[in-house]
Amino acid sequence: MSDALAAVEHAAPSQTAASRVGGRILRSPLLLVGLVGTTLIVAAAIFAPLLAPADPTAQDLANILAPPVWAGGTVDNVLGTDVLGRDVASRLLYGARNSLFVAFSAMLLGSSLGLITGLLAGFFGGRVDSILMRLGDVQLAFPFILLAIAILGVVASRPAWLLIAVLGIPGWIVYARVVRSRVLAEKEKDYVAAATALGAGPWRRLFRYVFPSVWQVVPVIALLDVGFLIIMESTLSFLGLGLAPPAATWGGILADGRRNMVVSQWLPILPGLAILVTVLSINLVGDGLAAVFDSRNVGGGFRRLRPKAPAAPSSEPGAGSLLAVRDLRVEFPTSGGRVKAVRGIDFELAPGETLGVVGESGSGKSVTAAAVIQLLEPPGRITEGAVFYDGEDLARTSDRRMASLRGQEIAMIFQNPAVSLNPVLTIGFQLREAIRHVTKASRRTARDTAREVLMAVGIEDPDRISRQYPFQLSGGMNQRVMIAMVLAARPRLLLADEPTTALDTTTQAQILDRLVKLTEAENISLVLITHDIALVSEYADRMLVLYAGEVCEYGPVREIISRPRHPYTRALLESVPRVEDPADRLQVIAGDLPDPSEDRVGCPFADRCPLVMEVCREAAPPRYKVGPVHTAACYLWAPERAEAVAT
Amino acid sequence: MTRPLLEVRHLSKEFPLKKSGLGRRRGGVVRAVEDVSFDLYPGETLGLVGESGSGKSTLGRTVLFLVEPTSGDVVFDGEPVTTDNTASLRRRAQIVFQDPYASLPPKMRVRRILAEPLLIHDIVPASKVEDRVRSLLRDVGLSEEHSGSFPHQLSGGQRQRVSIARALAVEPSLVVADEAVSALDVSVQAQILNLMKDLQTARGLAYLFISHDLGVVRYMSQRIAVLYLGRIVEVGPAADITSEPLHPYTSALLAAVPKVASERTVVRIDSGTPLSTLVETGCEFRLRCPMAQKICEEERPGLVEWAPGHQSACHFALEVPQRLRTSLPVAGGGS
Repeated sequence: MSDALAAVEHAAPSQTAASRVGGRILRSPLLLVGLVGTTLIVAAAIFAPLLAPADPTAQDLANILAPPVWAGGTVDNVLGTDVLGRDVASRLLYGARNSLFVAFSAMLLGSSLGLITGLLAGFFGGRVDSILMRLGDVQLAFPFILLAIAILGVVASRPAWLLIAVLGIPGWIVYARVVRSRVLAEKEKDYVAAATALGAGPWRRLFRYVFPSVWQVVPVIALLDVGFLIIMESTLSFLGLGLAPPAATWGGILADGRRNMVVSQWLPILPGLAILVTVLSINLVGDGLAAVFDSRNVGGGFRRLRPKAPAAPSSEPGAGSLLAVRDLRVEFPTSGGRVKAVRGIDFELAPGETLGVVGESGSGKSVTAAAVIQLLEPPGRITEGAVFYDGEDLARTSDRRMASLRGQEIAMIFQNPAVSLNPVLTIGFQLREAIRHVTKASRRTARDTAREVLMAVGIEDPDRISRQYPFQLSGGMNQRVMIAMVLAARPRLLLADEPTTALDTTTQAQILDRLVKLTEAENISLVLITHDIALVSEYADRMLVLYAGEVCEYGPVREIISRPRHPYTRALLESVPRVEDPADRLQVIAGDLPDPSEDRVGCPFADRCPLVMEVCREAAPPRYKVGPVHTAACYLWAPERAEAVAT
Repeated sequence: MTRPLLEVRHLSKEFPLKKSGLGRRRGGVVRAVEDVSFDLYPGETLGLVGESGSGKSTLGRTVLFLVEPTSGDVVFDGEPVTTDNTASLRRRAQIVFQDPYASLPPKMRVRRILAEPLLIHDIVPASKVEDRVRSLLRDVGLSEEHSGSFPHQLSGGQRQRVSIARALAVEPSLVVADEAVSALDVSVQAQILNLMKDLQTARGLAYLFISHDLGVVRYMSQRIAVLYLGRIVEVGPAADITSEPLHPYTSALLAAVPKVASERTVVRIDSGTPLSTLVETGCEFRLRCPMAQKICEEERPGLVEWAPGHQSACHFALEVPQRLRTSLPVAGGGS
């Protein structure tokens, strides 16, 4: 499926990052609510002097504890008055101003401290790191509200800066920890090593290279921190430890209200609501933004599409083939357009035969395999064509039927075995469970079968390996286990997607030797998907060469290797440096892949082809027969030309 | 004879062992590179091959002092390199990494990435930086329009071209290429390999070309060194190494390379590094070697010159070609 991702990525730059983020914001209603709420409150705080109907400190002892307008009050004091006859609406507005000012300033102080300490601790490590982090531990263990009360309780006057310092400084550790862990990950990356090699000193590496990649974690924490700080500020004000009176604070109004609750029920409720709405809005924004900027949500916003029922296939499967793919077409709808990853692929596979599918990234080779086994990653879907397995069209079969076929008759192995194995269960347990699931065998039989299949894939001490966990084994060993697991089910069709690409060549050779021997012995049909044409030439019977989602050439391996008929196949063969036959200069395929989201006229390889003709850009070449079972999609082999170019 | 550009003598790098780390445990350290010596001449390419865990990447980084060696000497252009004296190395030796995604700073535009080395070393006056960046882009086959792009907006091949341009900015005499084409598609790989060859011819660069792919190393190198468990087991002219290896490990590596249109005729060996059975004495390869004898257990073979410029660390080096070239029925399996 890496192919599909590559294709999607290829299409993405047509749309700007900003508009993508904008789109995601619009699709998240909670985030919108939060943004509106926060904007209103911030505006209220900033423009309080303009908005407030009265001076928040002006007392009117003739008009104390007036109810709000909806509870019988007057329009002069929309939200009523407090115990000293001050206008509650004005005090709430000024309260917002004070609360937000203190909370924002405290956040700025804490985040700056945290950012700097996190950067230093993470980048320089060693003693700097231990001292800073132990300090943080001590601080987290200490009840910070007690400290705040103690400090604020002993001072006579409580200027805003003191409140900001007391609230802000303890917050550093939250930022420092997150920043530190990001720096630890980032500083090990190759681009920082490259900067070292260029002669960049530590400060340059830290601020020019590491800092730009880590600072983004700060705003989201900061936003949530502001919400927390508003509550803390209100708490302190409520306890009488906030800004000194007569400054208006939400906590102060709340405290007043609590004392006069019997007379004026609304007085405590209003500041409570103000705090609730503010903190809620800010938290919604914080969570929402975190989700929007999270790169894992790239696919968000698409509803999962069920594969459309494909049109009736033009041709029925050939007799004697286990798998017959007919005019397969797969699309991935993306924000940048429809990525047509597979554009009409046909092939057949006889029982016991090995088909090599060769192509570069973006060729659609992995997507084809995923489509065969009906495991296309959403929103990918088959738009046309059919996948006949033993006469049954898998593209139109039910999910339940497909689930029973998968694992029992059709199996797949992937490039990275570690992600297919459960890290917390032993190899033996997973293997036995898999065997029992498929064969319904008893525990004892399953154990024997497990041992047998492990031996079959070349593991000499199956009992020791069975007791181990996947992380204790090498990549090659894990891949052997995966192969053992799928073979235990005795499938009839096995799809192997770059099964040895992550492994060393000596391991690759052994595993493929085994795999091919076993599939031959068990009469299993194998689809071997790889970027390595040499690998296919060693292990496959037939070969399918894909380019940009289309078939270039299809036929017997030996014939294609010795007489490649499609210029792309030839270029592919000539661009690989060979150890046994070193070239003076490699052939190069100039240019890039065509855009996978665009509709095409003509041959997909035309722009890069050294033999391109006019006709190649006018219409897609049909697949010309160049041998008994060998086809090439190239006009060079049109009957009227073929004789001239045949070699 | 000209003076070597780079002289590496008895270089070793140990990493302290973490709790359950893999590798060879010996006194709580993993010996990633052990007693490696070689010379690299101006304008030459020395290929470094080995499987994962052979220490080839660590060796590349240690030579450049990106990782500090545990012991041994590195002499660059006649001047000993130490932790406190890397100035000339930084100025004239560069590295190109494998992963084109991780090796460029994600938040810098191409223009800035290429300007950095120019500014750090004051290579050109500030007013000329832009011109130089433009000419660097041209040299690696990119166009000026790429200078405003961020790395994530480029394809893998384009990114690798930027990495090469960045390395070239300081006008180095040595470039370490650490699996520089391994992450690329074959057609792009061919473009980059040819580009690197052209740049070598035009600028007289020396490459330390690290790769697991023997075909690529053969194409790029005049000489090849084969690394096994941190040691060089064979080194010699590229053509000799690939046509007539004198170490059974090299022979096995060659045998495992998938080949277009040819039947396998060579012996295969067990894959994987024996982790549980540690080799304290004797030849490190003997547990996987089809030719191992009593002496291999007792005595570690040193690198010996068996043919002109061709060294192998095998007691039976001269027997390797006859013993292992023809098809012997040796077990292919095993763990």
